[in-house]
Amino acid sequence: MKILVPVKQVMDVELNVRVAAGKVVEDGMTLVLSKWDENALEAAVQLKEAGTASEVVVVTVGPESAGETLRKAMAMGADRAVHVLDPAADGSDSLGVARVLAALGAKEKPDLILAGLQAQDTDMGGVGPMTAELMGIPCLSNVTKIEGTGPTLTIHRRGDQGREVIAVTLPALITANDSLNQPRLASLKGIMMAKKKPMDTLTLENLGAAGVAGAAHALTQIAEFQPPAARAAGRKFTGEPEVIAKEVFDLLVKEAKLVG
Amino acid sequence: MAVVLIVAEIKNGEVRKPTLELLAQAGRLGLEAHALLAGAGVSTLADTLAGHGAAKVYVSDDPSLKTPFPGQITQLADTAAGKSSATMVWFSPSEVSRAAAPALAARKGGSYASGLNSLQADGAGWTGTRQAMATKVVQKIKLSGPFQVMVFSSGAFEAGGAPKAAQTETLPPPPVNPQLSLKEVAVEEQKGEVDLGEARVIVTVGRGAKDPDGVAFVKKLADALGAGYGSTRAVVDSGWRPHSSQVGQTGRSVAPEIYLAVGVSGAIQHLAGMSGSKKIVAVNKDPEAPIFSVADYGVVGDLFKVLPVWLEELGRLKK
Repeated sequence: MKILVPVKQVMDVELNVRVAAGKVVEDGMTLVLSKWDENALEAAVQLKEAGTASEVVVVTVGPESAGETLRKAMAMGADRAVHVLDPAADGSDSLGVARVLAALGAKEKPDLILAGLQAQDTDMGGVGPMTAELMGIPCLSNVTKIEGTGPTLTIHRRGDQGREVIAVTLPALITANDSLNQPRLASLKGIMMAKKKPMDTLTLENLGAAGVAGAAHALTQIAEFQPPAARAAGRKFTGEPEVIAKEVFDLLVKEAKLVG
Repeated sequence: MAVVLIVAEIKNGEVRKPTLELLAQAGRLGLEAHALLAGAGVSTLADTLAGHGAAKVYVSDDPSLKTPFPGQITQLADTAAGKSSATMVWFSPSEVSRAAAPALAARKGGSYASGLNSLQADGAGWTGTRQAMATKVVQKIKLSGPFQVMVFSSGAFEAGGAPKAAQTETLPPPPVNPQLSLKEVAVEEQKGEVDLGEARVIVTVGRGAKDPDGVAFVKKLADALGAGYGSTRAVVDSGWRPHSSQVGQTGRSVAPEIYLAVGVSGAIQHLAGMSGSKKIVAVNKDPEAPIFSVADYGVVGDLFKVLPVWLEELGRLKK
């Protein structure tokens, strides 16, 4: 089984995010592998360690700096990387990225694509399901457990009525929930080995995907960023627990109509 | 008049409120609303959709749609959008729409945005706002092109209306992808618990409750308040509460009038799922817990000492 893991390098949203002149201030922000992509990658590496997967290929569509993210993914256990690095892809919307990934999918022919539920910077969640649709394979989103060795896998996913247990015959695309696993930290050995693992750099033209992505083809565009609405400063109560509990309870009843 | 197709979300035999909000909003924007009603035993709900503004309801009522795969909904929405000449399809946030909505955008080559909480016409397209980066920024986003697919956050708009006779058209159920087979739906929601999406008050329990006994203890507060009972990912991953109770980006996003976070530290993925709540109350022993950064009322103290006082006070009020 061959697994393809699309990943994205994002600004670390754990940090303090500032907005100025309609843009997110990049100064002081660090770039990291998006959280849910780590869960997807961890699942892929575990399938390889279990002998279920033969190869884990990690891919990103992104700028030069995103190469670091691919090295990190290989340090965590991916076998090789594909970096779609092309200024023509800049400013792509979700569908543009999905078209590029689908073109790569047609070339790599993975049995399984493991993606994150959504990217941490946009929180959009479009690329995974769109890629599956364009490739004509089923998409199972928000997956919390993967069992089996293929060609049929049993997956558990969040459903609207409860936990759904679904048998899926590959090829398919799965998006990872953060309950799927606890992503490993790259070991020193892994980091050393990652330096020798192969990383291909491709352009849109290499993939036969020229003219399907990039700002010129993006029907969805972010016009500007704004800071979130400010919350009024809260009050913090310290002291004897029983005393402050009573004090806050009375405030909640009076000010917030706790008992409706 | 431009037509928008609204994919109705049904739960426990009722149309969920976010769908009614979208129907009302379509009218306010001068759009003709059509609805897709897909499920098992749902036909009678067409009149509810009509009463809230659906000029036409496309009904696909079949046992195979009891727990639909997103692909079935994508197919039905595509068919209904074609029949109604809709240029937009709107979804409420759900586990089905997470996958069905982007797939529809890909199929139609359309623009796509999720998590929208406002929308206005902008030339030939639409401009909306949505939160991103774990709700730390707001994006103003423009959707253009001949076809748009949008997922809105719940509570984005006001609902209004009353049932009236619907004009309906029946759609045959779409085939199930032969690669997929549903083995089980483990319904984890505890009987009698208030739906988190509709609750005025939510009590959420975090790891500070320590163990299953602590989780059961905090539930007493939810019960006494008639509140929904949510939990953090840590509590769910420990197996103390069902997945369906998880509040946060990978679970449910909620925005009740009052949100009481009990023993919740406040990971950003959790904060992003509840920071739209009107009033936030936090109880935590750790004065540095990030939850206090969003709390209107922050109680720095042991929940096992604070909650007994609240339970006693509530008991007294009820008498």
